[in-house]
Amino acid sequence: MNTMREVFQEKLKELEKEVIEMGEMVIIAINRSIEALKSRDLDEAKNIINDDLLINKRRWDIEEECISLISTQQPVATDLRALITILNIITELERMGDHAEGIARVVIMYGDKPLIKPLIDIPRMAEKVTSMIKRSLDTLVNRDETTARKICDEDDEIDNLHEQVYRELITFMLEDPKKITGSTYLTWVSRHLERIADRVTNICERIIYLVTGVMEEIEVSKY
Amino acid sequence: MKELSLFYGEKKIIDNISLDIPEKKITAIIGPSGCGKTSLLRCVNRLNDLIPDSRIEGQILFNGKDIYADDVDVVEIRRKIGMIFQKPNPFPKSIFDNVAFGLKINGIKDKSKISKIVEESLKDSGLWGEIKFQLNTSALELSGGQQQRLCIARTLAIEPEVILMDEPCSALDPTSMLRIEELMKELKEQYTIILVTHNMQQASRVSDFTGFLYLGRIIEFGNTNQIFTRPKEKLTEDYISGRFA
Repeated sequence: MNTMREVFQEKLKELEKEVIEMGEMVIIAINRSIEALKSRDLDEAKNIINDDLLINKRRWDIEEECISLISTQQPVATDLRALITILNIITELERMGDHAEGIARVVIMYGDKPLIKPLIDIPRMAEKVTSMIKRSLDTLVNRDETTARKICDEDDEIDNLHEQVYRELITFMLEDPKKITGSTYLTWVSRHLERIADRVTNICERIIYLVTGVMEEIEVSKY
Repeated sequence: MKELSLFYGEKKIIDNISLDIPEKKITAIIGPSGCGKTSLLRCVNRLNDLIPDSRIEGQILFNGKDIYADDVDVVEIRRKIGMIFQKPNPFPKSIFDNVAFGLKINGIKDKSKISKIVEESLKDSGLWGEIKFQLNTSALELSGGQQQRLCIARTLAIEPEVILMDEPCSALDPTSMLRIEELMKELKEQYTIILVTHNMQQASRVSDFTGFLYLGRIIEFGNTNQIFTRPKEKLTEDYISGRFA
């Protein structure tokens, strides 16, 4: 027969698995939104917006399980920090889902007009941030403070890419005022991706808290 | 406490504990059954003296003086360091007489003075409002929670400086328990409290400092918030997280 604490540890592991799954849902949403932007797929953009409700629901489900565990098991120390960390991570993931939804809305706003330029840096940013999300969630499972800190440093690369995209789009706007709307939309996409990377940093801060018990603000973002 | 050890016969119950108990704070001692919590508490007012074959090494300094020194008056120590036990143990007397008992055996005869102290003690223990019109009824007619607060009033009446509490809420329902916990917080304004408890939620709710005792040794001692959120010792973490009992 399992002891109460074994039951708790099993439930905690299940919760972490659900967080990883939620992260995968967010990564898929981001990738789909960028693909929809590339291929100007308005139907897919609408689907992404609808599917964000599933991400939101997953967040509430996990939150409810956390509340239930806190109220029935009264965890302390690392166990308590793990649940607090999970509660914070799912909030960040849910917001990342909103950013993916935001990109999908840009696709709809863009309509069937052609893109003002081929997308190069934006897909690169998306690839980088999704990798950061995945690895940050791995640090939850592995209780890996060192990697969490390293991932925070990678936010600079995203900031630099965002700046590069922004400058390039400003040039387009200056050269041709007809491109102002299209350029602004792409700036929003880049901004969404940049914010996602900031949220990855928040996740990493929580992992550091989980491992060390110390709340530390890691200021890496220029924006 | 300085390098305190307690032996029952050959068996070492408390193993070389050095600990500063902060004044006018609540210090909780937690630990699994049989780790020596109650024995440690009983060292502090020399109740272990009553156990044949018990022996102490080290010192407990109270107001700068070792309470185990040869010239110490044990009765005076137990007056200054009162104790509340797991199960409320009122005498089969009236409510008034329960509180007045300690005063009378300490030689106070002035009836108006006794009445005044009884009233103040019952007020301080939070019981006065509930029983002020039934002071002459038997203490045994009170509820468990009221009886425990009566025992606290009985302790307060003889003006202790330290109150030892040995699982004071283990026999009480949750409402009575919370009432006692509130009382502890009020009492720490005037008294130093050492609380022994199995109930870790209680330790985390009421105490300022917590010591984790295991196999007669203090494994970790520190600020309660730190102990329950980021203990330094793995053994403490395992115990408070329920990984062993």
